[in-house]
Amino acid sequence: MSIKTLLGACCALLISAQVFASAKVGSTAPNFTLKDSHGNTVTLSDFAGKHVVLEWTNHQCPYVVKHYGSDNMQSLQRDYTSQDVVWLSIISSAPGKQGHVSADKANALTSSRGAAPTHVLFDPEGTVGKQYAAKTTPHMYIIDPQGVLQYAGAIDSIKSTNPKDIPKAVNYVTAGMMALEKGLSPDPDLTIPYGCSIKYKS
Amino acid sequence: MNKFFVITWLLFSVCFSSMSLASDYEAEGPHIQVRLLAEHSGLKPGSVQTLAIEMRPDPEWHTYWLNPGDSGEPPAIQWQSSEAITFGDILWPVPAPIPVAHLVNYGYSNAHLLMVPITVPNTLTVGEVVTLTADLTWLVCKEDCIPGSAQLRLSLPVTAELAKSVHADLFEQARKDLPHEVTLQGTLEINRDNIAISFNAPSGYAASPERWTVLPFRGDVIDHAAPQSQVSSEGKISLAIPKSDYFPSKLNQARFLVKQGNKGFYLDVSQANVDESNVENSSRHSSLTLSQLLLLAAMAFVGGLILNIMPCVLPVISIKAMALNQEASSRIQQIAYLVGVLLCFNLFALTVIVLQQSGEQLGWGFHMQSPSVIILLAFLFTFIALILWDVFTVGTTMSDIGETLVTGHSAKSHFFTGLLAVVVASPCTAPFMASALGVAMVSDTLTTLVIFNALAVGFALPMTLLFMSSNIRGWLPKPGAWMQTFKHLLAFPMLATVAWLCWVYAGQQGNQAQFILLVCLVVFAMCGYLLAQLKTLGKIVCGCVMLACVLAPISLYSSTNIDKLAPTSAQAFDPDLLQRLRSKNDIVLVNMTADWCITCKVNEQVALTTQQVKLALDAENVHYMVGDWTNRNQQILEYLQQYDRAGVPLYVVYAGSNKGRVLPQILTPGLVVDALTTAKQELNNVN
Repeated sequence: MSIKTLLGACCALLISAQVFASAKVGSTAPNFTLKDSHGNTVTLSDFAGKHVVLEWTNHQCPYVVKHYGSDNMQSLQRDYTSQDVVWLSIISSAPGKQGHVSADKANALTSSRGAAPTHVLFDPEGTVGKQYAAKTTPHMYIIDPQGVLQYAGAIDSIKSTNPKDIPKAVNYVTAGMMALEKGLSPDPDLTIPYGCSIKYKS
Repeated sequence: MNKFFVITWLLFSVCFSSMSLASDYEAEGPHIQVRLLAEHSGLKPGSVQTLAIEMRPDPEWHTYWLNPGDSGEPPAIQWQSSEAITFGDILWPVPAPIPVAHLVNYGYSNAHLLMVPITVPNTLTVGEVVTLTADLTWLVCKEDCIPGSAQLRLSLPVTAELAKSVHADLFEQARKDLPHEVTLQGTLEINRDNIAISFNAPSGYAASPERWTVLPFRGDVIDHAAPQSQVSSEGKISLAIPKSDYFPSKLNQARFLVKQGNKGFYLDVSQANVDESNVENSSRHSSLTLSQLLLLAAMAFVGGLILNIMPCVLPVISIKAMALNQEASSRIQQIAYLVGVLLCFNLFALTVIVLQQSGEQLGWGFHMQSPSVIILLAFLFTFIALILWDVFTVGTTMSDIGETLVTGHSAKSHFFTGLLAVVVASPCTAPFMASALGVAMVSDTLTTLVIFNALAVGFALPMTLLFMSSNIRGWLPKPGAWMQTFKHLLAFPMLATVAWLCWVYAGQQGNQAQFILLVCLVVFAMCGYLLAQLKTLGKIVCGCVMLACVLAPISLYSSTNIDKLAPTSAQAFDPDLLQRLRSKNDIVLVNMTADWCITCKVNEQVALTTQQVKLALDAENVHYMVGDWTNRNQQILEYLQQYDRAGVPLYVVYAGSNKGRVLPQILTPGLVVDALTTAKQELNNVN
């Protein structure tokens, strides 16, 4: 076996890893490592054994404003983090684009809005966003303690910027978490997300 | 002074009120202006008129279509009015895809009207003023999005006649931006990773080389941002598009907007058959309408009647008629014969159906569109004509048995008479049964049963009437030499059928193929004639030649089919050959395709038959193997199962004995060439 073969095998492995890494409900959620708003490095696999909620966010997006202005998102965060669920708010906005914030600004937003995520993570390259095929803000995901992606999609059933719709809507995150606690699979487990497009780098 | 003040005040108030009216029908939000407009300056009782919301986003900003695409939200209007006016749905202008990073939205980047038809009730009285209110919400985006809302109000007088408003021209223009009134119909194919849709180009567009863009009504059907592969041939447009991540588990039909430039059409597509693997059956089991079915039944019934005057049937019936007692027989005795005939025909029909169904599972489905079936039918009908001409002598022993059987008067005897009449009269019934068999093979179960039963009733009718009333006897024609002539004449309709089949075949395969078929038919008939004249050895030779005549055009057809499918040096799929080539360390591209698979056809035209790919495939040690799944076959099924597939398309590139690499279901020339190049590099690295 020559060096060439080894290199070739490595390349093939890398390519296949890349190909199989995209998120799919019912399959293992792709692992990732990102920096949080306190400068810590956070890796998804560190949370094995716990439920993890991923929330794609952009504080200037009207759809995100709908859920933060009404305290809907924060109350979900408080509820679940108090039940030992890990809540990761991810910002995939590229530098210079709407929703991209500094670490200080992110922390200020957390305290001013009374938010309670476990971590606010930065994904300025959009790699993790694309890995999860995250399209909008908000776009929600639930990962079970075994690391399997159980829900991906909209936060609730009514697509609008109007906070008055929140009490009328079915919240898919709450419904999904309730199903998982009962040992069932979320239904629906995949919905079309609604909101602003994520301001990706490209 | 006082007077002046009053006038000024009045003027002022008039100005003010008109200003407030003016500001009522329009509104402004960040980066957008909206207006509520009416095409006519008044409302006419009992008419259908048009209102519109004009959306005027700033340059580079956009609002959305009814399906906003990957993000966004369409505008929404809540209508109210002081009178019972009915508001219709928004008439959406043709939208454009708007790319945002790697995502796509559908919407409008310039001023446009969202027209809404309204129905004005008859009950309104002229002179009355009606207030129309639109609560409008929208989302306007550049990359960032800003939601907005406005309440727009318009007061219109009720008038006896309609007069155009100052905005009428805008409506005129907006109608040109609407999709065409004609809704196109097409087919939908759902594969593992993609959908394919296919439709006939609307008139005037068939020759246009411009590409079509497909926009779905539902947000969960296609990947909005993915490139759409397109081919068009003879006015038929086919597109293959990757599926949405949110694709529903059940989808039989869908609505799209297809556009070319600014021109758009609505397109309704439905799945030809829910199960992909049954697509081929759908073309065969073309559902017949009731009237078509009745016509077929009537023809079969007449055919059954004609059977009675066949040389080997009529004498039997006549003998029976003579032998019948004058005394009335019981009802059971009367219908026993009919029951016997029905039973026999139905048994035959069931046998055919069972054969057909099991044949389907074996993969030899017949469909009328298939040239090989046309060929077989042409030979079948020629053969029937030969039988009718008594080219083949069939022993008369059977009809003799028949004559002895039909004597007797019990119900049991009548029943067996009926049952056996069909069999014993087989030298004459065979041509009819063969024709019915031919039709049954290309029909669905219901049609088969209807045809056979109508044939049976027609066949049994004269005898049954005889049993019921011996007066009928007088109506029966007397047996004689005319029967032979009649039988011989019947051969001509059979030959006419052959002529029609040959014409169909020419349409499918061309004049040259038709000529070959005709020559084979003539040789077939000649050998049939000789067969009857010659001794044992000659008979065998003639039999073989006849068989060869049938097989020659069929094999010719299948080979031309492969040529059509793969203009490059393609080989037919063969697992053993694949194994050998791989152990030789060659590169093999396997293409699993089917005639009915739209995606396969799109890929073949867009990628596999391009010069670029042909060159790559013609390289040394590169082989191209095509498996045709049009008629299912076990080898291909096993191969597909290796890759957990239930259907085609499937493309796999092998670099020698390494594990094959599965290509996506939608191909581009670059993708295929890259895959072949990578395979080559893999091999070089090993060596």
